[in-house]
Formats: sequence, structure tokens, C-alpha cells
Amino acid sequence: MTLKRNIPPKIWGVDRVEYIEPGRHCLNNGVELFTLNSGDLEVVKIDFSFKAGSWYGKSRLDSTMAASMLQEGTTSHKASEIANTFDFYGAQFSSVSSYDYNYISLLSLKKHLPNLLPLVSEIIREASFPEDEFEILRQKKKQRAIVDAGRVGLIAQKGFLRNLFGEGHPYAPVASPEAYDAVTIGDVKSHFNRFYRPETMTILASGFVDEEVIRLIENNFSSTWGTSVPEDLIKTLQLPVAEKMMFLEKAGANQNALAIGKIFPTQNHPDFPGIKLLCTILGGYFGSRLMKNVREEKGYTYSIQASPISFKHSGVFLVYAEVKTEKTNETVTEIFREIGKLREELITDEELIPIRNYLLGRILEDFDGPFARAQTFAALREVNMSFEYYQRLINTIKTTTPAEIRELAQKYLDPESMSTIISGTM
Amino acid sequence: MILFEKTTLRNGLRVIVHNDNTTPFVAVNVCYNVGAKHEDPERTGFAHLFEHLTFGGSKHVPDFDTPVQNAGGNNNAFTTNDITNYYITVPANNIETALWLESDRMLGPKFTKKGLEVQRKVVIEEFRQRNLNKPYGDTWHLLRDLSYKVHPYRWPTIGLIPEHIEKATMEEVKDFFFHHYAPNNAVLVISGNIKPDQAFLLAEKWFSDIPERELRNNGILSEPMQTTDREITVQRDVPIDTFYIAWHMSSRLSQDFYAADLLSDILSGGNSSRVEEKLVKGQKLFTEADVFLSGENEPGLFIATGKINEGISYESARNALIEEVKQTADSLITPYELEKVKNKVEAELLFNEIGYLEKAMQLASYEILGDAALINDQAFHYRDVTPEDIRKVASGILRSGNSNTLNYLSLKNN
Repeated sequence: MTLKRNIPPKIWGVDRVEYIEPGRHCLNNGVELFTLNSGDLEVVKIDFSFKAGSWYGKSRLDSTMAASMLQEGTTSHKASEIANTFDFYGAQFSSVSSYDYNYISLLSLKKHLPNLLPLVSEIIREASFPEDEFEILRQKKKQRAIVDAGRVGLIAQKGFLRNLFGEGHPYAPVASPEAYDAVTIGDVKSHFNRFYRPETMTILASGFVDEEVIRLIENNFSSTWGTSVPEDLIKTLQLPVAEKMMFLEKAGANQNALAIGKIFPTQNHPDFPGIKLLCTILGGYFGSRLMKNVREEKGYTYSIQASPISFKHSGVFLVYAEVKTEKTNETVTEIFREIGKLREELITDEELIPIRNYLLGRILEDFDGPFARAQTFAALREVNMSFEYYQRLINTIKTTTPAEIRELAQKYLDPESMSTIISGTM
Repeated sequence: MILFEKTTLRNGLRVIVHNDNTTPFVAVNVCYNVGAKHEDPERTGFAHLFEHLTFGGSKHVPDFDTPVQNAGGNNNAFTTNDITNYYITVPANNIETALWLESDRMLGPKFTKKGLEVQRKVVIEEFRQRNLNKPYGDTWHLLRDLSYKVHPYRWPTIGLIPEHIEKATMEEVKDFFFHHYAPNNAVLVISGNIKPDQAFLLAEKWFSDIPERELRNNGILSEPMQTTDREITVQRDVPIDTFYIAWHMSSRLSQDFYAADLLSDILSGGNSSRVEEKLVKGQKLFTEADVFLSGENEPGLFIATGKINEGISYESARNALIEEVKQTADSLITPYELEKVKNKVEAELLFNEIGYLEKAMQLASYEILGDAALINDQAFHYRDVTPEDIRKVASGILRSGNSNTLNYLSLKNN
């Protein structure tokens, strides 16, 4: 039998996404523990999240430095002893800060958890913020920031967020490396004391999570500590009137970075699933209109994307690319041309059907395996949403009509509402 | 332990199947035994440019991306100094779409003049974005060029200079394809939610009629033993002084590799490593320092680097790191320290067994190295390393005349 290569194989749609509700346990101190067990390899990932991101701090760097300082010493262990314990058992420990939440994560072989969890618990309750380590870390972060200040991509992205949110807003990146000089150990420690607490913490265990693992977590994280109950900050921040156009000079650049966009609805907005579909068409996958036009047709860039980025309390729409210096203006023109087309013309089925299928495949990936499921669950829970969001998203992806897509573009992608930030040389 | 089955089709294509029922997806991963090291020294960056070109459609496929997207999948590729690796992931019931595409790519991509013109531009923008327009972006160009005089590892996969990419012609593209993208020069790995019997049947169906081709053996020149220490100094518009020292070491499959890898872990793998404890946190000479292996298939490099802290003398910091590497190598590693780095490797190897696509890529690259079964031997090789092995291997690496030092200085500071 000869193979008919010119006839593509039949394609099967994604008809269902298997959702597994995590197990839920309540520890004695009120902390919720969620579990996603999949007994395959004896590997366990435990994620701790705290309402302690930059949204909560007095300054953005307080939460960043607090997260980085946690493993630098506790009341009973020095930084070197902590490092040695994690390294000796081959565990991966991380402590990071983000816009709304701060996270601690431990990836370990199950057999080593009894040796590691008491230390993780101690870090969360009794981090001691030694001064010497603080200075080392400050210097390291400042140096990194100095290097980053020479990258057009980061200049444009940071400038973009600062322009939309305004200086000092928790979602606006700090202006200069010198900001690190102003951080004090007292402020960082106070951030830790206020926000790393049972009242702000959630635990999510995924992987080989059997009864024994659950018991270990209960034994190590059920106590109470501290005294004050942190308030869940309700901030209403006035956004500035954003500049329409900003040029951030970086002498000698041989590519310019472009960031174009605006303040956008957050994930819990009813239109968000439709907006996600809309942005995917424009610049959310390899075959997107911007990639086809600016990269595959013209070769102005290696990569160009458009995406809705959702924080907990606000969102942004961002088109981003690093482009050939002398094609900067042309690229800006093409970006607005593509946005204009979405607002004026109807998308064809030929273009839309693969995008629908592509997005359904990405949803299937969000639930592929215990670690992905855990991440998806955590992301939803952070914005007070449930699997219902995915049911709506799937429905939107399958049924939104070309006319509705055009309406969304008319409503949300008005070029007049956007800011254009360019970093590099003109 | 990663279980897999393997067969070879009559055209020489090696097919490996790994079943993983924990995912609804399958990966179709095709790895070609061709990388930057097979390039003409006047046409560096070609293997990577070629990788870009193969996405422009093929004999029976007008465009590669749409069918993958339609099948709910993802696809991409990467090129290294040793290999070029393509992969498609799709929900398991759409596996034939992935096989159709990858087999057609092997049969004959559609090369057009316009495609070549545009991808030349795209790759040059990639060159600018990653290497020319980024602080320290030319480090690997400088370090490779200093360390290798003969072996093609002397250039990075992006190429020596953008002009080499600009010069690529259609004849060269077609020639490169014919002699390197042959079934008998490739490994197909299918992993994920599929039974091996079915996977082998489908591999046979889509790949077996692709003709075997005559391969071109470029005869890669081996690097002669270095006998004189080399050093270069550059000044760039960067904020911080840094340096790289590269010593030649063994190839990937030599038992010496594992001893060298553990030595680099003892020196700088993790926050409790010697360099981190003594030089970064103790003496505060660096804000960051690292000792690592370049990790290629053929004899590679053992590298030490550091970002000098404010107010610290460049020379003394650099010498302190060299001294630490030498001292560690000379003294016998304590059993506790050795156990620590071995535990770390054991855990990392197990973490790497998560994820059907990662497993497919690893199986393919080990098969190119010689045998996919090597994947399950790695832990034993590391376990066998003794403190004496490390001392012996280190003395070979750190011998006089084997070092290549790149002083990468800030224009502002110097």
C-alpha cells in the first residue's frame, strides 16, 4: 500500500479535560493543605504560598529581599548549615517573590522529607535575617540590576509597567539599581513578620503524596507562631495618566525593544476568556498574525508576542519584540495595522479553527501530570477562581464567533488607548 | 529507570519507544546527528540556519505549524554544537499528524528563495538579540575561539559572524540536507501515551519508505593537546569585570567526565559548595561565581568564572578562584562531601525522569552518543567515582599549559 502523503491524517479534537479535585486537609493552625497524588516516581513537590508579594509590602524590594533572605539563617541554624542540609539530600529549595504572592517550594525525593521538612518549617517561622548575609545579598542583587539596566528588553518592559502603573505602585518595577541601597534590614524583617504567617499561608503537595507524606506535613506545619493577625490589604491605587509614547535611550544598541499596550481586564473579568482568544490570534502562538507578518514575512525580528498579563488586582495587554534598529518604526506600524485588521475584518474559519484546537491542547497541558495540575490549581485559587473558569474558557474557545472576536477587538484594542515604549537608539 | 524498546528500520532509522501512561500526550522527537561541529569553517551557523528553514513546509506539507496547531500540539527545535533536535507534542490520538510532518521533513523540505532570504534575516536578528545586543553576549564567541584552534567547537551554534549566515546559498542548503538529514543519520523517539507495538507500526508506516542516503563525513579534526597557557583581555561596555578560565577535559562518555562533573559540583554546585561558602560569602570576592562543564559530546571544557565584587582587586579575586579549584583538586575530597554531591546527582537524575518530552530528548541524545541504554547507567558511573579518581582527573585538567583565560573587563572600570 502506498502512503498518501498529500492527505493529512485525520485530526481528533480535544473532547474533554480530566479534572481531579485536589484533596483538602485543614491543619490545626487553620492552614489549608491541598494534595494531588500520583504514585509513580517517589518525588514530592511541596509549594507554600504566602500573601506576601510586593502588593503587600511598603516597597517592592521589601518582599523581594524577604523572600531571598529566608534561607540565610534562622534562630538555630546558620545559612551554611541550611544550604548544606538541602544540598546533602539533593533537594531543590527555592524562595521567591512575585507581585501578589511570595512562594517557597521544595522538590525532593520522598525518602528525604523527614530530614528536610523540620528545616523548612523553621525557616518559615524563625528566619533570623543576619546582617552580614543581608549585605552580601544586597550587593549581588544590585550588581544584577546594574547588568539588567544595560538590556534594551528589560528597559522597555520595566518602562512600560512604570508608565502604566506609576512610580511606587506595587506592580511597577523599581527605577534604578540604587533602589537596593535604600532597603533596610528592619523593613525586610518586618515584612517577613507581618506576612509569612499561618493566616496567609497555603500548602500544596503534589507527586508521590501518600498518607505518610501528609502526616509529615501535618507534623511540621500545624503550629501557630507570631501574634499579630495581618490585615488583608485592600488598596485602591490611583493609576496615573500614562504617556502615549516614550523613548528610552540606550546608546549603541543594535536592536531596539518595543513594548506596546495598556491596562487590561484581569482573569476574573467575564470577557477574559474571549480576550485570551483574541490575543492568541494577534500574537499568542508561533503562527500568530504578528509572527507571520513581522518575522516570517519581513524578518524584522526573531520573536514578537502579544499577551494579556493578569495580576491579582490589575492586568495589562502587552505586545513585545526586539527588532532591527532601522525597522523600528515599520514594526510599530505593522503592529497597529494588525490590531486595526482585528477591529475591522472578520477572521476566517481557516485561520480560527487551528487556533481553537491549539488553545484546547494548551488547556490539556495545564492538567498534564500532578505538577502541572498543582500549578493550575494554585493559579486559580490565588485569584479566587475554580475549575469553572476552565469550563468557561473551553466553551469560549469552541464557540466564539468571528463577529464576537471583532467586537472584543473593537472594545479592548483601541489604538488610542495604548502606550508605545521604545528602548534603544533612533 | 526509563524503560524503552528499540528497533532499526531497513533504511537505517533507529526507532525508540518509551511508554508513559501518566500523560494524555505523545512526543515525536527526531534527532539528527548533525550540529555546528559539522559546518564548513567559512559557513558557521549553517546547521542552525538550516533548522529554521525546515519549518517552511515540505514536499507534501504546505506549512508545518498549522497542522500541529490543528492537532492541539506544539512543535519546536534546537541546534547544538553536536546535534539538531526537532520535536512535536500532540494529544496521543493525533500522533499520526506528528509522524506525517516529521517524516515529510526527512523526505524533503520545500526550500524557497524567499524562505531563505527571510530566515537569514530572522537568524541575524536572533544573533543580535542573543549575542550582540546583550551585555556579555559575545562571551562564548571569545572563549571558544581562544580555547580551540582546530576543532569546530571553536564557534558557537549561532555562528562566528553574521556575514557567514548572509552568504548561505540555496545550493549549500540542498547539499546540507541531502547528506545530513538522512534516516540513517537520525534517531526517532516516540514517548508518551502509546503502546510500543502500535508506535513501531506507525513509525514503519511513515518512515520506512524514506530512502537511505550517502552520508557526508566531514572528518572532524581533533584538537591537539594544548601546551601553552593562553590569555586574552577585552574591554566592553559592561558594568562589571568578569573572567572565564577554560581547561580542556575529557569527552562525555569517558569515566573521567563523571569525576570532573562531581568536582565542579563540589566547587560550585549549590549554596553549600566550596566556592560559594569561601569566596562569595566568606571573603566576598565575588557576587557570583561558578565552576561548570561545557558538556558536549566530544572533549569539552572545564570552566571557572566569577563576577568581581565592588572594590575588590580583579587580579586577587581571579587568583583566589584558581587557587580554590587547584586546592580542592589536590586535597582528597572528604567522604561526606562526596556523598553530598552524589546524592544531589541521584536526585537530579530522578527529577529528569518526569516529563515524557524530556525523556524523549534524553533517549535521543544518548542514542546519538552511542546507545540509548546509557541513560540508565548514569547513576552507576557517578556512584563509582572515588576521591582518588577526582584528584587524578583534576590533575590532568589543571596541568600547566592547559588553561585559556578570558579577561572580560568593563570600559568604565579600567
